[in-house]
Amino acid sequence: MRKVGVIGAGMTIFRRRLQETGKEMCFEATRMALDSAGLSIGDVDMVVNGTAPDAFDGVHMKGEYLLDGCGGYRKPYTRVFTGGGTGVFSTIAGWWHVASGLADVVLVVNEEKMSSCQPHPQSVFAHIWDPILDRPLKPNLVWIFAMEMNRYMTVYGIKKEDIARVAVKNKRNAVGHPCAQLADANITVDDVLKSEVMAWPVQRLDISPPSDGASAVVLASDDFIRRRRIKDRAWISGVGWCIDSTMWTDRDLVFPEYVARAAKMAYGMAKVRDPRREIDFAEPYDPFDYKELHHLEGLLLAKKGEAPTLTREGVTQRDGDLPVCPSGGLMGVGNPIAATMGMKIGELFWQLTGQAGKRQIPHEVRTGVSQAWGDLMQYGCVVVMRA
Amino acid sequence: MTFLERTTDARRYRAWEGNMEADYIYTSGLAGQRFFVALRDEGRLLAARCTACGLDYLPPRIFCEECFAELTEFVPVPPEGQVASLTVAHQDRTGALASPPQVWAFVTFKGVRGGLLHRLLATPDAARPGMRVHIRVRPREARTGTIADIEGFEPARSTK
Repeated sequence: MRKVGVIGAGMTIFRRRLQETGKEMCFEATRMALDSAGLSIGDVDMVVNGTAPDAFDGVHMKGEYLLDGCGGYRKPYTRVFTGGGTGVFSTIAGWWHVASGLADVVLVVNEEKMSSCQPHPQSVFAHIWDPILDRPLKPNLVWIFAMEMNRYMTVYGIKKEDIARVAVKNKRNAVGHPCAQLADANITVDDVLKSEVMAWPVQRLDISPPSDGASAVVLASDDFIRRRRIKDRAWISGVGWCIDSTMWTDRDLVFPEYVARAAKMAYGMAKVRDPRREIDFAEPYDPFDYKELHHLEGLLLAKKGEAPTLTREGVTQRDGDLPVCPSGGLMGVGNPIAATMGMKIGELFWQLTGQAGKRQIPHEVRTGVSQAWGDLMQYGCVVVMRA
Repeated sequence: MTFLERTTDARRYRAWEGNMEADYIYTSGLAGQRFFVALRDEGRLLAARCTACGLDYLPPRIFCEECFAELTEFVPVPPEGQVASLTVAHQDRTGALASPPQVWAFVTFKGVRGGLLHRLLATPDAARPGMRVHIRVRPREARTGTIADIEGFEPARSTK
């Protein structure tokens, strides 16, 4: 397999509703990523698009619809989709295009325009539930996360305050992010604990709301990077992905085994033997504050039930020993499902090449891991990147 | 064991009904904003120009799909177009009879990439590919900035 590097990244601002069409958002992110890599569209061999269910944008065959904005016109072009996991998975798909030797340069473009769906994307999220067993009971999707969060709290005796700290950290980290929708320099744990209850224990500020946005990254072979003398690059040294049982009732709600399996695959490829010592910073998927904790444990960066303690002790702050979501994550920047690639893969690239600006981790970082979570809380994908 | 006899009525078996109750609001986007405002206020079609590639795009867009440049110049589409192809619809999209049959045309304009689908305001007998047409827009007070501001294409005065 060939060595693959990320050589450019771009993203739009994230907002509850953007005027731009999905194609226009894709164009903006893609143009930015190409400009940052110093490439033109003619340099691109193949294009991968990542986007979540068609029902959000309200356009069937959304990949085909978005392709011109993604720079896919008259090129080998593929849409991939693994639910929320698409935020990291599309980069894995782009990686195999280059690693296999099929392409030298691949564009990966992710998009979501959730504001099209009225009155709220919840009306289509609800159809993720089993149509016969669950849907006649009229569940809200948040219920399932509430049960997972509650189980995690119950098994380890975790207090809500310690989970709320994640929301506070990420919304404060996002203050330095030019695209952020949910940044708040002054938010406190109390604000989170006093926010509206949605489905106990999930409250309004424990969850990242729907959003519009797009993001893009450019991947290239080491040969191309050398030939073009590209300086700003971060290498993809490991990838992994795994899916758990189709029945949510069959899964372990306390420990995300599917994330651990994906992480072990990625660490094995990247020759990471002791993740807690060798990983310098992490961008786990955080659409809910408790998910960052869950995923840190799945990524083997914290022992089971230990992630809240690391958070309370400041280990996961930007200047801590293991900075987590220095971008501000989904909790702080926003959650246009697949477009969260901007904080997961994009942030790893910007941090590892010293281009993160106000968000730059103050100490030197050489190895980062990003992870996304998708389908119906059963899909994990992991990418390890190195400077 | 699966159903062995042909049936079109799933309710004869144990089944549950459901619906996906989503409604949508689609923003017209940046290029769409220019296009529909010009259609409403001036009753004309705009294209987006890529000077590098020498292309005018209809409908307009903010990027060139060939060279990926950002497009900021909008130019009027020539008033007269040509029917590239047409169909005579005898049924509407539900399968109900359309009476009288409706003529629908795909119309292109010289020097413009792309084109538009709309009603052809001619009888099926008079409609033919290659005929020259121009848009007929609704009166200004009836226009709201949607594709329905166009009533359809009518035969250009120079042709029968």
